[in-house]
Amino acid sequence: MNNKLVINYTPGPTMLHKLTGFTKVFLFLVMSAAIISTFDIRLLVPLLIINLIEIISMKPDYKPIVVMFTITFFTVTVVGNIMLFFVSPGVGLTNVGAEHVIWRLNEKLYISKEFLWYIFVFFIKRTASFASVIAFALATTPSEFASGLNKCGLNYKICTIVSLAYRTIPDIASDFINIRNSMMMRGVELSKKASIGKRLKNTVLILVPLIFTAFGKVGNIANAMDLRGYGKHKKRTWYAEHELTRWDPVIRGLTILLLGLTLYYIIRYRIIDPYPVDYWCPWVAREEIEQVSSIDTLFIIKWIKNLRGE
Amino acid sequence: MIEPIISFKDFSFRYNAQKNPTLHNIDLDIYPGEKILILGASGSGKSTLCNCINGLIPFSYEGEITGSCTVKGTETSTASIFKLSDTVGTVLQDTDAQFVGLSVGEDIAFSMENDMIPRADMLPVIERNASLVGMQDFIEHVPFNLSGGQKQKVAIAGVFGNDVEILIFDEPLAALDPQMGMTAVELIDHISMDTGKTVIIIEHRLEDVLYRPVDRIILMADGRIAADMTPDELLRSSLLSEYGIREPLYITAMKYAGCSLDGNRNLCDLASLQFTPENEAKLKAFFTEEREAVQENSNETVVSFSDVSFSYDSGKKALSDINFEIKRGERIAIIGRNGAGKSTAAKLLCGIIRPDTGTILLEGTDTKDLSVKEIGEKVGYVMQDPNTMLVKDIIKDEVGLALDLRGMPEDVKEQRVKDALEACGLYRMRNWPVDSISYGQKKRVTVADMMALEPDVFILDEPTAGQDFRSYTEIMEFVNKLNREYGKTILFITHDMHLAIENTDRAIVFSDGELIASDRVFSVLADPDIISRASLKQTSLYTLALKLGLDPESTIRHFIEYEREVKSRQLLMTKVTSLYQPGGTRH
Repeated sequence: MNNKLVINYTPGPTMLHKLTGFTKVFLFLVMSAAIISTFDIRLLVPLLIINLIEIISMKPDYKPIVVMFTITFFTVTVVGNIMLFFVSPGVGLTNVGAEHVIWRLNEKLYISKEFLWYIFVFFIKRTASFASVIAFALATTPSEFASGLNKCGLNYKICTIVSLAYRTIPDIASDFINIRNSMMMRGVELSKKASIGKRLKNTVLILVPLIFTAFGKVGNIANAMDLRGYGKHKKRTWYAEHELTRWDPVIRGLTILLLGLTLYYIIRYRIIDPYPVDYWCPWVAREEIEQVSSIDTLFIIKWIKNLRGE
Repeated sequence: MIEPIISFKDFSFRYNAQKNPTLHNIDLDIYPGEKILILGASGSGKSTLCNCINGLIPFSYEGEITGSCTVKGTETSTASIFKLSDTVGTVLQDTDAQFVGLSVGEDIAFSMENDMIPRADMLPVIERNASLVGMQDFIEHVPFNLSGGQKQKVAIAGVFGNDVEILIFDEPLAALDPQMGMTAVELIDHISMDTGKTVIIIEHRLEDVLYRPVDRIILMADGRIAADMTPDELLRSSLLSEYGIREPLYITAMKYAGCSLDGNRNLCDLASLQFTPENEAKLKAFFTEEREAVQENSNETVVSFSDVSFSYDSGKKALSDINFEIKRGERIAIIGRNGAGKSTAAKLLCGIIRPDTGTILLEGTDTKDLSVKEIGEKVGYVMQDPNTMLVKDIIKDEVGLALDLRGMPEDVKEQRVKDALEACGLYRMRNWPVDSISYGQKKRVTVADMMALEPDVFILDEPTAGQDFRSYTEIMEFVNKLNREYGKTILFITHDMHLAIENTDRAIVFSDGELIASDRVFSVLADPDIISRASLKQTSLYTLALKLGLDPESTIRHFIEYEREVKSRQLLMTKVTSLYQPGGTRH
């Protein structure tokens, strides 16, 4: 159920599904750290492939994933890069360290090979993080997420908030639909017939009762938890944190390996012998790299400089 | 001598937010193994009393305590809620909120998790407790697909996790349909018998709880103990009507027949009740007496469904080939278990969803040509929880909202809002903030919301859910007035058998997406097949009829007709009195 949200409430049948919460949370955290720490395509592509394999191995329902991917692709990649072209076409130079112009509109607006490379690498990086989040969401039930986080050292009260939030999402969603229906009957227009401003105003009308009913529930939930001894001790055990499967030690070992590699990469290429720019590019040799402050390439800065006659 | 497990001595409690105490000078002893019913109308203090036992007072609700309340010898005002939770288990009214886990197993484990019990030791306990309540095959299930009754079972298994000695059930029947309610009462009885635990049930639905015996009934009123007696003694007394508690139907029937309640053994349990020969004769005479028939309604059809089918996206057929007609001015009960199709039918009528095949006519117009907004001017849908409908701060703005949204001219709007508020008895409160009024009044505001659009048909979704007898009576009198004086057609979506018996002319019964009956209420309630398919329960009138060797259908019919006569006589009386008494108030 609730496939639209890609939330998985019951553990699935595959190897990844069956791992303990801690293994999955640990893998996810290390994977995120690895993806965040680098702009190097030679690392990002393998990471992306690993995550894609994870997703495929769980045989998910692809429809909601594709929908989410398409939405993020259009808003972030397409729209974002068009804006980037207008605001800062020089990102290729600042991040990759060279500029081979292939098309030029005027002095300020042009496309270089490096600009396209920058966009490409960034797309791979975003897709890899998207895939890692999806893989994690598919594999982990909210309870496993909470217990795994707690095992990673996070205070259990914060972890319970996570699982409680997931517990209430479907209830809130159904409340929302009920309230919207009754509002529509009273004449609140939410279809395209009304202008965007009006629709926004009307949505606020729905939110008022929604928030109040949700707050009403909070008190009841808190009482129910108190009555069953929640918060009695400094620690608690987790029903969701089941015994290790055969694969848990293997995956944990591989995760530690990934952590080691990430640390090695950071120390080697960022601290000991820092690469002059963030983006490695196959056709830009290290010696040719030109280091330019990113501020200088901003369209507006160039424009101001131009005005002042610099 | 046995020590009481719970003991109140001259105990009073005042919430910090309130001026006056909610509990006054309570003296009460409850002994180990007893099964106690705490009875009382809303606001009588019965829930507060229980919150003093389980420690929510003073842990979550602060206030001033005088006197003493001990549980197993420990003073509750100083003991921690956690320590008390080892002794007292509470099953809350809102079992949905109590379900904090994301699976049945996890929820049962919740208190053990908090006790830091290793997972390996939890598993056998979860298994044992789940089978105790009959949920052993559902351990992996998520809460979203469980029925109210199943959630309650899980809640019971969950409080068993810490092996408590006292079990408190706060309004266990509130969220259940009649059949599930019966199962819950049976289950509570089993637990009380098999485990010997002390059981405290808080309820105002006396007849439903008495389906299984209780040892003692504590009647609460205005924060005091009004009575502490056995069920038989209570039923014989006049205390029930005095304190706004509905008496069992068979007792009402006995009173109508002029029976004396003294001398009948086992009065609280109809199955083993032994009538005195005199009473038996009186009852038989009463139920066979000739009576004029209930009058027929007009012939004008307001709503008609022909061959309507509907499936949700998931592909499961929600309704198939539904046919029914509703006449103007009828009061209809739409009955069926959850998921049987009654809400789907209501949504189809409102146009929120549209039929796959078939047609729905509303005053002769096919609704497929109408928008939801247009249908909203003909059909007013009042949701179960008024808080989900109220959006404005001031009552008159709330009622005027639908007219504002339709761009109605100011003077027309003023007049319609005034009419709607007057019809709902809210005109003098028109400038009050919505937050400041009671639940029953909020319900009226939501009806007034709809009334402003002047629809002909009202759909009321569980209008009396969670209401005590007094508020129930108030809401139903108001709805009946809309029917009587304004000629509105009223559809009730309900589980409440009392509501159906007392306030509707006809019942439309759904089961598994099919319409299985559309008939007079007394016929439906006398058909055991329909009763079980719709998850209803047999009313005590049915059992009474069998006991007396009478035909159940005509017995229920007699009762309904007699009751209507009594009601209309009372109504006439109040009208006459209010005419002759200057300043006399009508309710």
